Amino acid sequence: MDKKKIEEMVNQVFEESFEINKGELSPDKGIFEDLGLDSLDIVDLVVALQKKFGVKIRDDNRVREIRTLGDIYNFIEALYKEGNFLVDK
Amino acid sequence: MEEIKKFILNLVFYVMFFVFSIIAIPPVVLLALLGSLILPKRLVLKRWRRAISWYGWVIIYVLPFPFIKVQYKDLARGDNEKGPFIFICNHRAASDAFLMACLPFECIQIVNTWPFKLPVFGIGAKVAGYLSVKEMPIDIFLLKMKKLIGEGVNVISFPEGTRSDGKDIGQFYSSIFRAAIETKCSIVPYCISGNENKPPKGSFALNPGIIKIHKLSALRWNDYRDMNPFILKNRVREIMKNELARMDQE
Repeated sequence: MDKKKIEEMVNQVFEESFEINKGELSPDKGIFEDLGLDSLDIVDLVVALQKKFGVKIRDDNRVREIRTLGDIYNFIEALYKEGNFLVDK
Repeated sequence: MEEIKKFILNLVFYVMFFVFSIIAIPPVVLLALLGSLILPKRLVLKRWRRAISWYGWVIIYVLPFPFIKVQYKDLARGDNEKGPFIFICNHRAASDAFLMACLPFECIQIVNTWPFKLPVFGIGAKVAGYLSVKEMPIDIFLLKMKKLIGEGVNVISFPEGTRSDGKDIGQFYSSIFRAAIETKCSIVPYCISGNENKPPKGSFALNPGIIKIHKLSALRWNDYRDMNPFILKNRVREIMKNELARMDQE
């Protein structure tokens, strides 16, 4: 799975679960101030990402450092490289 | 001329605010204390919350008159649903809490941590059962909300969490919308415009003018049952943003 595919799938999560338009999704967008998620929404996001990628990330401390959409792409890519994916789509 | 008006408004308002508070608060506290000895707790709480509503009404409608006038418009006049409701309000000034306290219902407000630290008002708010959402885990907050709604108490929330700078509406926090989904309670948006300088952020100085409050149509459980908290909060925010833009242009 290349980074482009990961970005596409993460964006799908935002479009499907949060009804955020594709046009608003760029790596520099802050997930709190720009996309409007709060700490409780992050829990929902984590659940949606886990489902999408078949990976367990809830207890991963790196989630706390996520600030932008680009951070999410990088985080998911790192998980993939570490071989954490249960489902390789 | 404007400066003189502003000076008189602030002089009269703050002197009367102080005098009225000194005269009104002690007897109400005394009555509540006596009432708590002989009346059921639920009834005392109900009366205490109504007393806060009357106090807010005097502060908003009487003391700053005729320099500040409040125009209230019910854009949901056809709605005849009985509460309890979750009232969602935008937050531009400290006066919002008083404006919403005037609603003629038994209400509590969801507040930030600092209002509880205010002398007198903080204690009054705590006694009335106001909730400081930042000071409790979400599951405790949801339990408390279920209990309040179950008792027929209306809940006022400012989901921006803090006052917005100017006329923009900030991002919404989702906790109150999670509570709405959990309790299936109708959501009623209230838009307040014109009070962004009454007083401006970081100041106590009031400016003369008109404050407009628009009550919008309720979003009922059936309207939002398929939405998750994020989608619901943004739907409500969008409705309020559009109405506020109309109000600011009027």
